[in-house]
Parts: sequence; C-alpha cells; structure tokens
Amino acid sequence: MNRVPARTILAYFAPMLVGITLISLFPIVYNVYVSLTNRSLFHFRHFQFIGLANYATLFSSLNGDFFIVLFKSFLFVGICIPLFLLFGMLTALAVNHPLTRWKAFWRVSLIVPWAVPSYITAFIWKFFFNEQFGTLNQLVRVVFGPKAGLPWLSDPTWAFGSIVIANTWMSYPFFMVVFLGALQSIPLELLEAAAIDGANAWQRFWRVTLPLLRPAILPAAVLSAILTFQVLNTGYLITQGGPFTSALKPGATEFVMIYAFRQAFQLFRFGYIAAFAVVMFALLFAVTMFSLRFTRLVEEEAR
Amino acid sequence: MRQGRLATSLFIHAFLVAMLVIAVFPVFFVLQAAVRPGQSLYTLTLSLWPDHPTLDNFHYILTQIPFPTWLGNSLIVCTATMFAGLVGSATGAYALSRFRFAGKRMTLILLLAIQSFPTVLALIPIYIILRLVHLVGTPLGLILAYVSVALVFAAWNLKGYFDTIPHEIDEAALMDGCTPTQAFLRVTLPLAVPALAVTALLMFITGWNEWVMAQTLLSDENTYTVPVGLWGLQNDYRIPWGYFASAALIVSVPIMTLFLLLQRYFRSGLTVGGVKG
Repeated sequence: MNRVPARTILAYFAPMLVGITLISLFPIVYNVYVSLTNRSLFHFRHFQFIGLANYATLFSSLNGDFFIVLFKSFLFVGICIPLFLLFGMLTALAVNHPLTRWKAFWRVSLIVPWAVPSYITAFIWKFFFNEQFGTLNQLVRVVFGPKAGLPWLSDPTWAFGSIVIANTWMSYPFFMVVFLGALQSIPLELLEAAAIDGANAWQRFWRVTLPLLRPAILPAAVLSAILTFQVLNTGYLITQGGPFTSALKPGATEFVMIYAFRQAFQLFRFGYIAAFAVVMFALLFAVTMFSLRFTRLVEEEAR
Repeated sequence: MRQGRLATSLFIHAFLVAMLVIAVFPVFFVLQAAVRPGQSLYTLTLSLWPDHPTLDNFHYILTQIPFPTWLGNSLIVCTATMFAGLVGSATGAYALSRFRFAGKRMTLILLLAIQSFPTVLALIPIYIILRLVHLVGTPLGLILAYVSVALVFAAWNLKGYFDTIPHEIDEAALMDGCTPTQAFLRVTLPLAVPALAVTALLMFITGWNEWVMAQTLLSDENTYTVPVGLWGLQNDYRIPWGYFASAALIVSVPIMTLFLLLQRYFRSGLTVGGVKG
C-alpha cells in the first residue's frame, strides 16, 4: 500500500501517538529526570539536582542492596524456571499420552491455577503457609503429631521455598499449554520410525521428542524468566519481602520489584529508586531485545 | 505386553489425579472457607468441610461492607480502560500493520521498550506526576495509569491480529476505489471484530485483577477497586477469612470462566505476558 499519503498515515497514528507519548512515554522520561534528584517524601516539591549520586549509591558496594536483591532474583528465577518446565512437561506428556482418557477434562482442569487472579493466589497460599491455622501445617500435624509444624514463612530459607512453591503452582499450566501445543506438532511417523529402528520409549523421548520440543519451549522459557524475575504479587502479598534479619538489609524474599515497591512507597526514596528503575529497565530491555533477535521476531515484524 | 500397558495407564492416571488435587485444592479451599461460619477456619486441626455450611459470609460482605461499591468501581475503571485502550490504539495498530513509512521499525522498538518497562517501576513516576496534578486517590488517576499500560498492549496485540488478515483483501478494496479509510472501516475492521473483542476482554481482565497500582493510587475506602478491598479483608486475623473467601469467589469465578474460555485465543507470548501481572 504505497499510495497512502503521509497525511493519512499521520491521522491514523495521531490518537495512539498522543496517548502513548503523554501517558506511557512521558512518565518513563520523567523517571530518568527524577533519578538525578534527591526527591523523597520530605523533598517532594523542593528537591535538588544531585547528578549521578543515586547511581553511585546503587553500585557503591558489592554487598549493597542492589547486588543482594539482584542475586536473590537470579537465584529465584534459576530455581523456578526448571520447576515450571518440569511440571509443565510432565503434565503435558501425561495428558498427551495415547493411553490417557478424558483428555479434554485434564487439559481444562489442570490449567485452573493459571486462571486464578495472581493476588488471590497469593492470599490463598499466604493462608496455607500460616504456621498456626495454615492447611500445610495442619497436614504436618496429622502426620507428625500435634507439636509438629514447619516455619513456612518465618525462616528465611523456608520462606524463599514457599514463594517458589506458590509460583510453581501458578505458573506450570502456561508451560503445560506450550508443551501440549509443541507435542501435537511432532509427526507421529518420526516416533514410529524410531520405534521400528529399535529405539525404546526412553530413547524416543530423549532423542526425538525433546529435541523437537526445544524451539517451542525456549522462547516461552525466556518470557517466563523475564516475568518471574519481576515477581511482585505472589511474593510481596505473602511475605512483604521478609522475613527480615536486619533492618538495614533486604529481606529473604525481597526480589527486585518488591524492593523497588518497598523503597518507593514505604520509605519514599523516589530519587534513589528511580535510578534503580533505570538500571533495571536497561537490563530487562537488553534481555528482551536479545531474546527477540534470538527468535527473529523483530525482523519479521519490521518487514 | 497388555499388562505393561495397563500398568503404564494406571501410573499416568494416578499422576494426573495427584496433579488435579494440587491444581484444584486451593480453589476448593476458598469454596469451603466461603460457606464456613464465623472464625471456625482458625483451628489447629485439619477440617475440609464445615459442619454447618452457611451463606452468612456472602450476606455480610454484600450488606455490611462497601464490597458492592468496590465491584462498581472496578467495573467503571476497567470499562473505561478497555474503551480508551481500544479506541486509542486501533487506527495506529492498523497503520503499523499496513502502511509503509520511515520510522516504523523505530516505533515498534519503542512500543516494545515501553512494554518491557515493569509496572511497578512505571508506577514511581506515574505516582509523582499524578500527585503533582492532584489526581492521586481519584478513579481518574487510576484509569490514566491503567490506560498507559493498556494502550501499548492493545497496539501490539491488534497489530499482530491485523497482520494475520491477508493484505490482498484491503488491497482489492483500494483497487475497487475505496479510500484507505473506507478499506479500514468497511473491510478490515469488521473482519477483526473477534480480535478486537478478545483484546478488549484481556484489557478488562488485566485491570480487574490488578492490585499494586490500585493499592498505591487509591486511599479512600469508597474509591477502592476489588483487589484493594480484598487486601484489607484477608490481612487481619480478627475478621473471618470467610469474608475474603466469599468475595474472592464472587469476583473471580466469572473472570476465571472467561479466562478458561479465552485461553485458546492466546496466540503469542506477548499476549500472555499482558494478562498476568
């Protein structure tokens, strides 16, 4: 459609351009400006320009908050994604198996966790993890007697594990759906040919099925890693970032977005956290662009 | 051989039943908590169904607290967001899908950059700006914050859908003497109605389930949206968790049904990314 005049193109773009520039782009640019000031609750209107001091605070020490929460988040993603993949793959393989009956029933009922709003998921699991009335410790007491109980949310390591559990429950259905789609695209002839050549079920899975699944799974895993890195609801609403061992150090489950939220809206360190946001965005955008180049999406889109 | 098949089948179905229990138990738990009277959920021993189920919790939240007001607020905010997002982005998305012009690649990358700016981080400048113009605490402020996310999401999503409609169709309309606008309004847009509906519903669901922006930008109980109200209901062990449970059922059962019906339309990862927040 080369015959469309520039005027028309501009008219089509105008609503979106004005809207996005004013309410999506302007705040992001404004955020960069805030990151160069000492703005806080006390210096809300009367703040000073302090150059790159906030950025210097971020990177000042390897033991500083920035690297602690970044490391925690990487660790969280590194533990969560393999679990999501494992449960997504096992459920998909089971639903897709030729001997499985009522496939449609399993497919719908096993993705229920995905449909539950994430804040409600968080509140339900917060209750399950409650050390007195929580269902999990009620179960523990049934098995190990009335005095037993696990420190689901009060011990730093357990709390980290608890958040992993809640997120795995919530996130495996996405991978189940992705794996199911990919499994159905594998031609049966390939598996039959492998069987005729003498491959057993285990070899067919590792040598035929799994390599063919990889192209579909990889982009989904990258996307999920990016989203899991930004976990907020199913972390903050369960632990508020805690438990805290020291008032000056981030809590055991204080991942990057939970840290940003607490610093911004409980301690009101706007300037500092704006700098944190700029660095975090640069990191996320770099990963997004890299993964897109990987899947060649941008090249396709820009044709 | 036959016995091997039976064993395999039993093993697979046992695994599926175990996963079913894990997947559905939390939802069942909310259901039983909703019909459980008073404080009887706060006990040290396991009890999976109340001795005397009752609808008192539903009665309480519908008559004694501003829950109906929160429902109304959520409805208003989400509907406004949905329409603003759709109207604001439809023509732009069409231009991105069909027209050739300088800067198209840049625009796409810019959209992607804004899309990958995390909500919580965007909330910081949005909060400061809204406070400077005295919109913090008002539904309008929250709507503006939601539209800032919805516009970019809808632009990406609709462009993706327009791309799947063959170019030949609107090119034929142009050959027959339509102007580009007639081709858009009379040919492409009607074909895209299902896509527009799905995109609109996804924006609605996202707003309906959004907690952090609403919690930060609203302060008066009478302007709360549902998630902010529910936060208060579950956060205090002096009040029965059943209030929260019954309210959670009312707000999430319709939206979950919608989600389960829609999930086969989730084409791309970006669509999925826009839904869960």
